Amino acid sequence: MSTLKTRYTLTQSQKMMIFVLSMSLYGLSNMFTELIPSVQLGPVELSVEYFAFIPLTLCMLFHPLYAAVGAAVGEIIFGELMLGQFGGLGELEKFITFSMAMYIAGRMVSDPKNRRQVGIAAISGVAIHQFCSSVIDIVKVWVGVEELEAVKGLAESIVIIEGVGFLNDVLFSGILFALLPTMYLVPRLYGKIEPLLGMKPRERNMQYASGGGNRLSPKLAGGGLVLALVALGAELLSESGWSIGEFELPGAESNESLLIWISMLAAALIAALAIIFTLRRASRRRQEAGQLDG
Amino acid sequence: MVEAVKRALNRISVEQIKLELLGTAYNSSSTFLGRLDPRMLLIWYLFFAITPWFVYNRTILLGMFVFMVVTTVLSRVSPYIVFILCLGLVSQIGWMFLLSLFFGGGAESLLPMLTLTLKLSVISLASITVFSSLDPERLSDGLSALGVPDAFAFSLSYGYRILPTLLEEFHQILLSFRLRGQRPLKHGFLYMRTAAYYLRILVLVFYPLMLNTAKRSRTTVEALETRGYTYAVNNPQVKKLRLSYLEMQRRDWLFAAFSAVYVGLLFPLGTVFPNLIY
Repeated sequence: MSTLKTRYTLTQSQKMMIFVLSMSLYGLSNMFTELIPSVQLGPVELSVEYFAFIPLTLCMLFHPLYAAVGAAVGEIIFGELMLGQFGGLGELEKFITFSMAMYIAGRMVSDPKNRRQVGIAAISGVAIHQFCSSVIDIVKVWVGVEELEAVKGLAESIVIIEGVGFLNDVLFSGILFALLPTMYLVPRLYGKIEPLLGMKPRERNMQYASGGGNRLSPKLAGGGLVLALVALGAELLSESGWSIGEFELPGAESNESLLIWISMLAAALIAALAIIFTLRRASRRRQEAGQLDG
Repeated sequence: MVEAVKRALNRISVEQIKLELLGTAYNSSSTFLGRLDPRMLLIWYLFFAITPWFVYNRTILLGMFVFMVVTTVLSRVSPYIVFILCLGLVSQIGWMFLLSLFFGGGAESLLPMLTLTLKLSVISLASITVFSSLDPERLSDGLSALGVPDAFAFSLSYGYRILPTLLEEFHQILLSFRLRGQRPLKHGFLYMRTAAYYLRILVLVFYPLMLNTAKRSRTTVEALETRGYTYAVNNPQVKKLRLSYLEMQRRDWLFAAFSAVYVGLLFPLGTVFPNLIY
């Protein structure tokens, strides 16, 4: 028992293995969940949103960064591109929020054999992702619909729909398809699946060598993300002049352009983040690959 | 309601889904659009995925929509996919409308809704057109030519290659679970029991599947590395050589020019007749 914290380092090909594993498994599950019909009970939709337990499990057992990004890529490739349902730029936002949430959930677990920790991490991963996507959806509609203020009740109804959807996804899909399977799978797979990829299992309190660094704790990242989104939502609410019990129509013209600008800004931010992320990955890959003969 | 659930459940045989997926994923490249230059098609798609968000003019949107319908017909998309798309759009908009009625809106809330639906349909149709008519090789080459990270382009080709194998394996495991298990004797209210039974199995199947896939992905990566995959990805010369076959031909120029002229004509038309249709 050494008091030194051993670093969890992976070779290039091991990272790739994790990526490929996560991608193909989650992609396959996504194909099914896309095709499973949802049961509509009034405005409440009981749907199998996604099999979040797959990326969650892999993020807890392996390096969370590669597992999370792999799963997000798998979703885009199998669930969207192959089925001809690729939503375009909307997928980018999903990609970022999803991989971020899964990564945070993976980082929250320091001991894969601790069921309570695993459960808490699983449900928070789903909650973070669903919260982000709900806020983004609301913003999208507010930007996309012209004369939003002119239509009475539209803004409120969208918030209600999204809120119900959020609760449904977290309570129904979250518990049935994230929490329970993850708690069942992680302890069972621990120690079995790692040797198949030629790695040692994660040990307790192992530090990750890369990917976010150790200063960025999952709590901090998650909290920051949620706070930023709340801020954005509140900002938009106040700008759109929608407040409960008050139906004054502000200047729709300036408002709309402002909303467009805000959304453009958000899109630009996300795009910039994505570009930086991929560039960093590419440069790291290049460094690891060694010299090129140009 | 019960009827609908019953029909839906009858549709979900794994065999059926398998066929549908394989059909969607592999029937391409023989169409007119499939032969076009992938880089050009991707840029074309980007335009139609972004601009509708910032256009509020119904005439322009309608014109784009008509154009998208034509290209979708050209790319011979499977009707099932189109059906899923329509269902999603209609149900989403329908609920919003009902709720806004509840909050004291009226029939006038339908118009902005219609605009939003138009936007969403243009975007979805564009994506279906492009991504279902390009075969995986050309798509991944087009992406990597446009500077998308090679990991993504590789994943795309790999996904198309591995899908039949994965589906086959999944199906085998599912069948073995069903052989050992006992189906619920009663379907229960709204087929709830049966649905729950199948969903539970669907989740359980992933336990053996995870272990198998782990082995397979290791084999894949090792095979890639023995062929110098990492080296090839990081070497610009290899990439140049691989993408050398992509070139813009006459039909590509014609298609791009036609789209540009069409959209260019739409905008003045839209400003002159903003309420041409409704």
